[in-house]
Amino acid sequence: MSILLTLGAILILTGGICDLFGAIGLLKFPNFYVRLHAATVGTIGGAAVPLFGVTLLALGTDIPNKEAIAGASLITGMIILLVAPAGATALAYAAHKARIIEWKPKTDQLKEARK
Amino acid sequence: MKRLIGLIIILTITLGVAYYVSQNLTPQKSLHPLGKFYLKNSYFGDYSAKSPEAVTSIVWDYRGLDTLFETAVFFIAIIGSLTLFRLSKEQSEEAKQGEPKRELPEPVCAVTKIIVAMILAVSASIALHGQLTPGGGFQGGSALAVAPLLIIAAYSKYALEKNGLDKTRAIIIRSIGLLGIALTALTPLLVKGYFMQNQPIFPGKALGAPLGGSLVYYNLFEYLAVGAGFTAVFLLLSIPEEKFRKFLGVKQ
Repeated sequence: MSILLTLGAILILTGGICDLFGAIGLLKFPNFYVRLHAATVGTIGGAAVPLFGVTLLALGTDIPNKEAIAGASLITGMIILLVAPAGATALAYAAHKARIIEWKPKTDQLKEARK
Repeated sequence: MKRLIGLIIILTITLGVAYYVSQNLTPQKSLHPLGKFYLKNSYFGDYSAKSPEAVTSIVWDYRGLDTLFETAVFFIAIIGSLTLFRLSKEQSEEAKQGEPKRELPEPVCAVTKIIVAMILAVSASIALHGQLTPGGGFQGGSALAVAPLLIIAAYSKYALEKNGLDKTRAIIIRSIGLLGIALTALTPLLVKGYFMQNQPIFPGKALGAPLGGSLVYYNLFEYLAVGAGFTAVFLLLSIPEEKFRKFLGVKQ
């Protein structure tokens, strides 16, 4: 019982830390693509991971309807896990296609792959 | 240093307001008599709507006329946008010409397929459980309309039209929904009830599940009407700009 509680609490704390890092990264990173990385840290680490933490936490307590809470947060976490990378990919693709962002990459693997 | 001062000021004000509010905001201890009436009557009382969800029974039963006119306003808005984008027969045929293609990278399209299936299921559950849990026809229909929007973004609108969901069909589904709402509202008149009456004309239960009398029908038809109405507008909005320039005779 208490193992689930501790694990869940650790996951939620990790989520908070990831959110903080994501926010700092959004402020400090140099261009759109790297900032997108920070934003994804914020969504996956800061939203999906704590939801899995809530799942464990709910299973570890004796509140009524705990399975419903656990199931709902598990499914929400999985949906975020699916949607966040897809959204980030779509944003990066659109930005690259429209060529609106100045960037000076050290290596451009996409260009090399297209040759 | 300047930014630090700003930060400190904002933090002080926020914490101060939060402290003030937490000290001075007492939770309401008594209910309004009207609220008591709804809570007592929505499932058990003498004026029951046979629905455990008080909000839906207020929206479609106790204040059903209000919702009926809200629905009318919404659909007039949809008709307005359909009129703005009115095309002749040839023009709307030409707007359909195009090849469905992936417009986004493959992983996005794969996720879109999964999410669209999920959205269909979730929106149906929001609408059809409207008499049991929070939600209802309008909310479910708005959720439903996200599915075609995602398909339009990932696969272009031609994918929807090639699979049979074009503007005309969307408008037909929307009209079926509106007709259903109107017929459900008029049915009580056949058995000498009054307009939009719910109990005891409509069955309150089926197979052990509370239906809330007419609430489930209103929710179902509103779901269809809102989802299809939004879809029709999205299909019109996603016609490429070049085609519209050609229709209107605007030079490039």
